[in-house]
Amino acid sequence: MKRIFKLLVIVLSVFLLSGCETETKDKLTMVTEAGFHPYEYYSNGEIVGVDVDIVKRIAEYLDLELEVKDVHFDSIISEVRSGKSDIGAAGISYTEERALQVAFTDNYITSNQVIITKVDSDITNKDTLHGKVAVQLGTIADSYITDELPSIELVRENKFLACIEDLRQGKVDAVVMDELPAINLIDNTMVILDEPLISDSYGMVVALDNTSLLNAANAVIKKMKDSGEIDAILLKHLNTEEDKQNVKEEKTSNIFTKIGDRFYRSVIVDGRYKFIITGFKNTLLIALGSVIVGIILGTILALIGNFHDNTGKLRLLNRLAKLYIDIIRGTPSTLQLMIIYYIIFGSQSVNMLVVGIMAFGINSSAYVAEIIRSGLKSIDKGQLEAGYALSLNYGQVMRYIVFPQAIKNILPTLGNEFITLVKETSIGAYIGIIELTKASDIIASRTYDYFFPLILIALIYLVITFTLSKLVSLMEKRLKNA
Amino acid sequence: MLEIKKLRKNFGKKEVLKGIDITIKDGEIIGIIGPSGCGKSTFLRSINMLEKPTSGEIILDDNVIDEKDNLNDLRRHIGMVFQQFNLFNNMTVLDNITLAPVKQKLMKKDEAKKEAIKLLKKIDLEDKKDNYPRELSGGQRQRIAIIRALLMKPEIMLFDEPTSALDPEMIGEVTALMREIAKDGMTMLIVSHEMSFIKSFCTRVIFMDEGKIIEEGTSEDIFDHPKDSRVKTFLSKVKNI
Repeated sequence: MKRIFKLLVIVLSVFLLSGCETETKDKLTMVTEAGFHPYEYYSNGEIVGVDVDIVKRIAEYLDLELEVKDVHFDSIISEVRSGKSDIGAAGISYTEERALQVAFTDNYITSNQVIITKVDSDITNKDTLHGKVAVQLGTIADSYITDELPSIELVRENKFLACIEDLRQGKVDAVVMDELPAINLIDNTMVILDEPLISDSYGMVVALDNTSLLNAANAVIKKMKDSGEIDAILLKHLNTEEDKQNVKEEKTSNIFTKIGDRFYRSVIVDGRYKFIITGFKNTLLIALGSVIVGIILGTILALIGNFHDNTGKLRLLNRLAKLYIDIIRGTPSTLQLMIIYYIIFGSQSVNMLVVGIMAFGINSSAYVAEIIRSGLKSIDKGQLEAGYALSLNYGQVMRYIVFPQAIKNILPTLGNEFITLVKETSIGAYIGIIELTKASDIIASRTYDYFFPLILIALIYLVITFTLSKLVSLMEKRLKNA
Repeated sequence: MLEIKKLRKNFGKKEVLKGIDITIKDGEIIGIIGPSGCGKSTFLRSINMLEKPTSGEIILDDNVIDEKDNLNDLRRHIGMVFQQFNLFNNMTVLDNITLAPVKQKLMKKDEAKKEAIKLLKKIDLEDKKDNYPRELSGGQRQRIAIIRALLMKPEIMLFDEPTSALDPEMIGEVTALMREIAKDGMTMLIVSHEMSFIKSFCTRVIFMDEGKIIEEGTSEDIFDHPKDSRVKTFLSKVKNI
């Protein structure tokens, strides 16, 4: 047991240390959520997209090296505010509330969602939009029509190329999609209506006091807009060869080749399995690390409580321990993770895995402490008294008599806690840790196919937790014999 | 020699021991009797501070027992046997016996094992040395608990109702072992409801009621010629049972 523990600590520290790279050139850190094609998405394991290309230009302009960070969309503003990242670019629309917290650059893109119909259609403007409408799954058009125009029957395609195909074949009455690619896609039987269904402008965000970066960004954006470079970048990302390939295959294949094809696209294309591997590795590392932190901290907390219960000493410390446990158990773990990341570590750049291990370890320690404490309490007082009467001290009584018996009683509960912990790590995505859930998210954001990646990681979680519970029952058996 | 001076113990507001004074000479075998709730167990447990006295002094061979200073040291010299045996459930019989002497560096492990086996042989339980407590009868467990205390080489042994949790047919083997130990001159304090055993075994008997010593004397004094009415009432009730 001791040797395994030592090995774990060594493996863990090697992993963590290897994450601390040495810096060479000064960096411009861009923060985004890479699941918003074509503005930011993963391709070949890298975050690319319109926003990335534009910020790359800003970095070149400032002679900085660009670093791109992928976090939850809700975290982008606080990332920039706290100074953890320099610039946020994620198709962010201007709102008054956001403008109070961060400074917006000029709009670099106006995204118009236009209506495309057949030339002879009776749909002539957005008020006469009716019938069947094709949209790309998960786009602004999709969510807008779902929420605002419930009378319309939506046909959700994985690619907008498929939407156009639907319109051509007469399966739908109209298509709603981004203006720019639409211009290139329609043939002479189709028409784009003048008035867009919705119009949305995006700006980038920087810290309120970072005027030099704001000015630089605005200068670069203006130059690129004037030269038409932004439109070119947008088209480049919208018309990737892969998309055309996908649509062709989708339209020609039958159900059976479709399943194999979806698997192929979810896992093989672009080396997407690499996300799953990274996610698996990080999930395991965080779970393992936080189990160790949780056990160490939890045991200390439990011992403080137990020592107080038995001797009446350490009253203040016991109160503090209780308060800590109450706070941790009474607040959501997502919140704890974000507090540790944004407030405790503040503007320091730390390895995400360290933050994850700390946060989940601290969270788990409160539960572990209560489990151990109740386990210690469950041991008959006579066992302790016999130890004391034989002149053993508190530490010896705990170590040789109470702990070994308590462990046996609490092992199943403790095992459950660790299984919960493994699953809990899925919220690590909030601060940008690529663990299993985030990995599936990244893949699905590219393929618009949630089925395969979700089922795949569900299976991986199952394998981990199943192995864990087998291990626990194996240990239980061994202890029972002892 | 064990001296107890003005020993008082409160549980919250309730006063359980209301000033106990007694001096016990080496080799004495003291029986403590009295109605249940009279404080006799608390008195016994106060001697090695399993119950912390509210006030008073316990003096073992001129050393005042002090919780902060020398408690663990002095506990070595005071063995204790419990009603519920309290063998360590997670250890074999042999480990139960050798744990404390080895951890307190009174003996080396081999030496402790050898001594333990010698004692086990004496009580005919050598073949049980690798068994766990749950695999033994109550009588066997209590005898092992007694030799576990013995291996610490105590000067005094406290017995807190050592036969109360036993089936009747097992009481004899435990009392026989206690008589055996007494032969070597061990000082003993025994709280028990086995009146015939107390009467035939103890050199001095103490009757307690409501946290005080009411009467003390030889076995004959107490059992055959009790003076206080409370002692008389108690004995008549016990005899009727």
